[in-house]
Amino acid sequence: MEGLQVAQWLTEMNNRQLPSGESRKSHRLSLKQPKPLVQMLHNRVQGRVRYKIRGLKRSENLPQYLEFRLSSQPGINYVRASSWTGNILILFTKELSLKAIASLILTIVNEYRQQPKQALELMQNWSKTASKPSNLMPLESWHLQETAAILTELETSRESGLSLERVQDNLQKYGANVLAESKPRSGLSIFIDYFKSVPVALLTLAAGLSLVTGGIIDAVVIMGVVTINAILGYATESQSERIIHSLKSLVNPSAWTIRASQVTKINSQEIVIGDILVLKPGSYVAADARLIEAERLSVDESALTGESVPVLKTAQTLTGQDVPLAERANMVYRGTLVTGGQGLAVVVATGQLTEMGRIQTLVGETTVPQTPMERQLDRAGSQLVLLSSGVCGLVFALGLMRGYGVVQMLKTSISLAVAAVPEGLPTVATTTLALGIGKMRRHNVLIRRLDAIEALGSVQTICLDKTGTLTANQMSVVELCTDYQRIEVTDGQFLREGEPLNPYGCDELLKLIHVSILCNESKVNNHHDGRYVVNGSATENALIQMAIAAGIDVLELKRKYPRLEIDHRSEERNFMRTVHIVHESQKLVAVKGNPTEVLELCCCQLKCGRQIPLTEADRQAIEMENERMAGKALRVLGAAYGHIDDGECSESLIWLGLVGMADPVRHGVKDLMGSFHQAGIKTVMITGDQSPTAYAIGKELNLSQGKPLEILDSNHLAHLDPEVMKGLCDRVQVFARISPVHKLQIVQALQQAGKIVAMTGDGINDAPALKAAEVGIAMGHTGTDAAREVADVVLEDDRLETMIIAVSQGRTIYNNIRKSVHFLLSTNLSEIMVMLLANGVGLGQPLNAMQLLWLNMVTDIFPGLALALEPPEPEVLQVPPRSPEDPILNSQDFQRIISESSVLSVSSMAAYGYGIARYGISPHASSIAFMSLVTSQLLHALSCRSTKPLSTIHLPANHYLTVALGGSLTLQLICLVIPGLRNLLQVTPLNLLDGVVIGNSALLPLLFNEATKSNRLGEEP
Amino acid sequence: MKRDFMFTSESVTEGHPDKLCDRISDAIVDHFLRHDPFTRVVTECAVATAIVFIAARFESDALIDFTKIARQVIKQVGYEQPSFSAKTCSIVTSLKELPQGEYRHFDEQKLSDTEIEKIAVKNQATVFGFACNQTPAFMPLPIWLAHQLARRLTEVRVQNILPYLTPDGKTQVGVEYCDRQPCRIHSITIIASQYPLDPVASPDLKQLQEDIRATVIDPVFETEIIKPDLDTRIFINPDGPFIIGGPAAHSGVTGRKNAIDTYGEYSRHSGAALSGKDPTRIDRVGAYAARYAAKNVVAADLAEECEVQLSYSIGLARPVSIQVETFGTGKIADEEIKVLLEKHFDFRLAGIIKQFNLRFLPALIKGGFYKQLATYGHVGRTDLGLVPWEETDKITLLKAIK
Repeated sequence: MEGLQVAQWLTEMNNRQLPSGESRKSHRLSLKQPKPLVQMLHNRVQGRVRYKIRGLKRSENLPQYLEFRLSSQPGINYVRASSWTGNILILFTKELSLKAIASLILTIVNEYRQQPKQALELMQNWSKTASKPSNLMPLESWHLQETAAILTELETSRESGLSLERVQDNLQKYGANVLAESKPRSGLSIFIDYFKSVPVALLTLAAGLSLVTGGIIDAVVIMGVVTINAILGYATESQSERIIHSLKSLVNPSAWTIRASQVTKINSQEIVIGDILVLKPGSYVAADARLIEAERLSVDESALTGESVPVLKTAQTLTGQDVPLAERANMVYRGTLVTGGQGLAVVVATGQLTEMGRIQTLVGETTVPQTPMERQLDRAGSQLVLLSSGVCGLVFALGLMRGYGVVQMLKTSISLAVAAVPEGLPTVATTTLALGIGKMRRHNVLIRRLDAIEALGSVQTICLDKTGTLTANQMSVVELCTDYQRIEVTDGQFLREGEPLNPYGCDELLKLIHVSILCNESKVNNHHDGRYVVNGSATENALIQMAIAAGIDVLELKRKYPRLEIDHRSEERNFMRTVHIVHESQKLVAVKGNPTEVLELCCCQLKCGRQIPLTEADRQAIEMENERMAGKALRVLGAAYGHIDDGECSESLIWLGLVGMADPVRHGVKDLMGSFHQAGIKTVMITGDQSPTAYAIGKELNLSQGKPLEILDSNHLAHLDPEVMKGLCDRVQVFARISPVHKLQIVQALQQAGKIVAMTGDGINDAPALKAAEVGIAMGHTGTDAAREVADVVLEDDRLETMIIAVSQGRTIYNNIRKSVHFLLSTNLSEIMVMLLANGVGLGQPLNAMQLLWLNMVTDIFPGLALALEPPEPEVLQVPPRSPEDPILNSQDFQRIISESSVLSVSSMAAYGYGIARYGISPHASSIAFMSLVTSQLLHALSCRSTKPLSTIHLPANHYLTVALGGSLTLQLICLVIPGLRNLLQVTPLNLLDGVVIGNSALLPLLFNEATKSNRLGEEP
Repeated sequence: MKRDFMFTSESVTEGHPDKLCDRISDAIVDHFLRHDPFTRVVTECAVATAIVFIAARFESDALIDFTKIARQVIKQVGYEQPSFSAKTCSIVTSLKELPQGEYRHFDEQKLSDTEIEKIAVKNQATVFGFACNQTPAFMPLPIWLAHQLARRLTEVRVQNILPYLTPDGKTQVGVEYCDRQPCRIHSITIIASQYPLDPVASPDLKQLQEDIRATVIDPVFETEIIKPDLDTRIFINPDGPFIIGGPAAHSGVTGRKNAIDTYGEYSRHSGAALSGKDPTRIDRVGAYAARYAAKNVVAADLAEECEVQLSYSIGLARPVSIQVETFGTGKIADEEIKVLLEKHFDFRLAGIIKQFNLRFLPALIKGGFYKQLATYGHVGRTDLGLVPWEETDKITLLKAIK
C-alpha cells in the first residue's frame, strides 16, 4: 500500500503549493480542485513509476533539467521526461522508495520554478565538462548504430540471445511488454456525470424554486425524479461501459525468440530488451527492434506510418541525422506485421517505450469514440433541446399572459422542458448497441467495436477469402500426375487406372513424394501411440499426410536429408526452394510451387528412372494436365529437384510431376451465399488460386446469381488505372491469383465505388484490409492472432453462417433504435403540443409539473427501452441494405412524427375539452387530460413497433414491451387509486364515463395512426 | 464499271491491339476444340492499358484456363513493356456456360446426307467469297502486298534484324489499276512502333525509315512482278516516331479488322467477325466455303474475277440464295456458274464442317489452327500448308463442264 500512502502524502505536499492560477476547461461544470503539482500515475511495476508534473507539458527546458538532475542521483537507472505529455517516467532500483523519489521531484521542480536561469546554467556547465556517460538511453538513434555495438551493449548475441537470468533482470528493470490500458469510467463517475447535464440543472432550478415558494414536497419529488433517472441511466450506461471495455480484451500474440541458444515461442508480454526476435512471414512484431539480419524482409507498417505498401527492410546501419520513422529501414516496430522474407532483430524498446507506446501516451486516455449514429442522435437531441426551450419560453409567456402565477408557470414550463427533452437519446443508442453485442455473443459472434454493428446493418458487399473461409482449409491430396500418368489418391491408397500402386515400385512417384516432404515447413511429431501430429499450413500438411499414408517414414527422411537453407515463396517467385545435404559433397535442391513457374526452371524430366530432356510437346502436355486438374477445382503444385555437386550449382532442375489437392467447400456455404444474395448483399471471392479453380468454385457457389461469372486475374493491380479498378471491382465476383497485399486495394476500390465492405481474413497479411473494411471479420479458431486483434467481428466457432445472423441483428438493432427514437420524439412532441395548445387557447393547464415529471418517468423510459429490444422483423433479410448516407430520421420520418404527435395531442385535447365541458377548468379535467395523454402514448408504443400497419405483418412477440406497457399502465392506475400519489399528482378520482372517454381517446389515435400508415409509400423498415 | 482506278488495302501485324484480340479469341477456340471437338463457343476480347477483358459464352466438356491462354499469346506476340506485358496485365473474364443443346455431339464425319440436310444454321448471315488472278494466291494485289509487308515487319523484329521495334505495326499499299489489272504501285505506308528513343538502342526517325526501307520494303518486292517505281510515294511513320504503341496507346477489340481478315475491301465482305467463333457458326465457315467456291472458279479459268455470295437464314440448312458475279470477266454466264456451284459444292453447315474437317484441325496442327488464321488473313494463305478452303481440288469438275 505504499503507493496509496505516497499519493496521500503527495496530495498534502501539493496542497501546500500555491496553485498557479490555471484552471482546466471542462465541458461539464466542474468543481474540481486545481491540479496538483506532482501526481502519481503508475506504480504497479516494481522499480518503475510514472508521474504527471504540472507545468511539464510544453515546457522547453524543464524536462531536460529533470532528466539531468534525476539521472545523476544514485539508484535511479533511467529518467525520461516528456514535454508533450507532461509525464515523467523513472526506473529505479530497490534502494530508493517511492516517497523519496516523489520528494526529489518536488524539490527539483521548485528549484526550477524559483530560479530557472540558474538551473539552466548549471545544466549547461555540467554538460560541457561531462566526462561520464549519461544514463539516458539514446532511444532515438538505434538505427544509426552498428549491430555489433548494439549487441554488446545489450549483452546479447545473435546465436544465443539472452540468458534466462538476464531475461529476469530485464523484466524487473523495464517491466512487461505491455501498453497501458485505459481504465473504464468508474461507476461513481458515471453516476455523478448524470447530474451534470442541462436538464438536471433545470430541474434543480425548479426544485430550488419550489423550496423557495414553500413547496417542499414538490422539491423532494423533483429531486427524487432526477435521482431515479440518474439511477436508471447509471444502470444502463455502466452495463454498456463494461461491455464496451470487455471488447478490448486483446488477444496477446506470441513471438519467436532466441533465448539461451534455443528458438522458443513465448508470449509477447514477456519480451524484454535484448531479446533476439525471429521474424518470419506472418509474424507480428512484438517490440521495437533493430535488425541484425534481413533477407528480403518486407514489413507492413501501416499501423504506425499509415503506409499500406509493405516496406523492404535491411540490416545495414543508416547514416544521417534526421531520419524519419518511416525511413528507418533497419528497425522494426511493435504493432507492424512481417509480410515476406525472414530476419533476426534485437529488441531495443518494449512496452510504453516503443513507438506505439509513445504514440498512445501522446494521445492520452483512450476514450470510446462515438459511433456515427450516436453523433446523429446527439445532434438531433441538441436540436430538440433548443426547440423545447423555445417552446417552454413561449408557454411560460402565454401562461403569464393568462394570469397564472409566475412561480407556477416557471415550474410548469421547466418541467415541460424536462419532460419534452428526450435526454435519453444517445443513451438509447449506446445501450441498444451494447445489448446487441450481448445478444450476438450468444450466437458466438464477438463484436469488438461498436460501430461495427451499425456498419453490419448497411453492409453491401462481402469479400470472402476462399481458403479457410469458404473452404474448410482441410486440404488433402487427391491426384498426382507423374510421367503423364494420373494417379488417384483415396484413403491412403495410390491407384493408377484403378489398380493399386506401390509408391516404392515407381521411381518418379517416390521422388515426387520425397520432394513434397523435404520442401516443406510443417512440423511432424511422433506421438507415443504411433500417431503423427502435423503442424503447419494446410497445403503442406496435406502433402505430409499423403506421405504418411503411403507408409513413408517422414521423420527418418527429414533426418537423412537435413535442411540447409530455405527460400520462401514471395510475390515475385511463386515457389519454395530448399537445399538439403545428401552427403559431404552433394546437396539436393527441392522446389515446389506454381506449376508454370516450376516448369520454367526445368530442363529435363524423369521417365522410367532416366533423365530425358523436356521437349516443347512435353511442356504442353504438362500444362494441359495442370489445366485439367485446375478445372476440377484442385490446387495444383508442381515439384522438381536438382543436385548441387561440390558447390557447382546446376541452373536447371528435373521435373517430377504435379500434385493436386482438394479443399472441400464448407458445408452450408452455398446456402449461405443464397441468403446473402437475398439480403441484397453482393458476394465476392478472393483467392490466390488460378482462374480455372476459382471459376469452378465460383460456379459451385453460384456467386454470380445466375449471371455470367466475372473473374479478375491479376497480381499487379497497381498498374490498373484507379477509375478502371473502381469500375471493375464493382462488377467482378471473383478475384484470382491475388496476393494478400492486394486485398487492401480491392477493399479501397470497392469503397471508392461507394460500397460498404465487409472482408474476411485469417492471415497476418489480411490485417490492413481487415482494418480498412467497414466490417473486418476474422475466424476464431483457425486464423492468426493478428487478424483477430484487428478485426471488428470475430466468429468464434468459425461458422460463416453466423455472419448472416450478425447482419440480421445489425439491421434489427438499427431499426430498433429508429423505432425507439421515433417513439420518444413523438410522445415528447405531443406533450409540447398539448401544453402549447392549451395555453394558447387559454384552457388552463392540462398538465402540472408533477404530472409532467410522472409522464417522463412512465412513458419515456420503459417503453422506449423495450422498443429498442424488439426482435428482428421477419423480412429484415429479404430487403436490400440501407444506404449509409441515410440519416437515422429523414424528413419523411419527421413529418410522420409530427402528424402522429398531432393526432395524440388532438385526442388528448378532445378529452380535456370534454373534461372542461363537464367539470370546467379544474383538476378533474386535468386528470382526464393526464390519463388520456399517458394511455394514448403507451398505446402509441404499439404503433411504433413497425412502420407497416400491424395488421399486415406478423411481428414476433416482444415480451419486454408487454411487460413495460403492462407495468406502466398498472402504475398509472395505481396513482389513481392510492390517495398519497393522487394528492401528489393532483389527480382526482374518475368515474366510468371519464374512463370510457379516456379509453376512446387512447384507442382512436392508435387506429388512426395505423390506418394512415398504409397510405405511405413503402419504405425500408 | 470502273476500268482505271487506284485501290488501297491495309494490313496490321499481330501486335496491333485489334489483331491481338483476334488472336487471343482464336487461341481460345483452338484450345477448346483440342480438348473437346464438339465445343460451341463465342469469345470476344478487348484490350486496353494494363487490362484484358475476355467474355466467353461456351458449351463444352472442357474447362480451360482463359487467362493463361491470353497471357501465353501476349507473351508470344512479344509484349514485355512495363505498360503492358503478359505477366503484369490484369485479365477480367466474364464466362457464361450455355445450356446443353441437342446437336452438340453430332460428328459430321459420320452423318449421312439426309442427316446433314437436317442440321440447320443457327445464325443469319450473308457471306462473300472472292478470288481473282492478280496474284498466284488468287487474292487481290493490294491486300496481298500489305500482308507481305506486315509479315516481314514482324519477321525483322523477331529475327532481331531491327531489334528496336515493338510488336505494333500497320501497313498500307495503294495499287493503280489500268483496265482492271494492276499496273503500278501508287503508294506504300508503314507505321512501325519502336522502343523509346535512345541514341544506341532505338534510333531516330530518319534511321528508322532507312532501315525499314532496306529490310522490309525492298526484300518483299524483290520477288514481286510489280515493284515500286520512282514516283511511288513511300511513307514510313509520317506522323513522327511511334513509341511503344500497343494496347497502352490504342485499345483493341475482336472483330474490328474484318477487311484485313478477308479481301482488303476489294470485294464485299460480311460484317460479322470471323475470329472467336467455333465451326458451327455459319457466319464464319460460310465465308470459307464461299472462298473455296470462288477460288476454284477462277482457278478453273471460268472467270478472271469471281465473287460468290451466300445468304443463310435461321432454320434452313441450305443457303437461301447463291449469287455469282464475275464483273464481266466470266467465260460462261454467271447463272451457269451458279448452277455449277450448286451442283458440286456443299454449302450446308454440316457439310462444310465435314469437308473441311473443321472440328479436328486444331488437334492436328501444331501451334493451333485458328490462331494462325487470326493474323494476316483467313483466306489466301499460302504459308500455312493445308488450309482446306484454299485447295483447288474441284477444278477438274468445273473444267469438265466447259
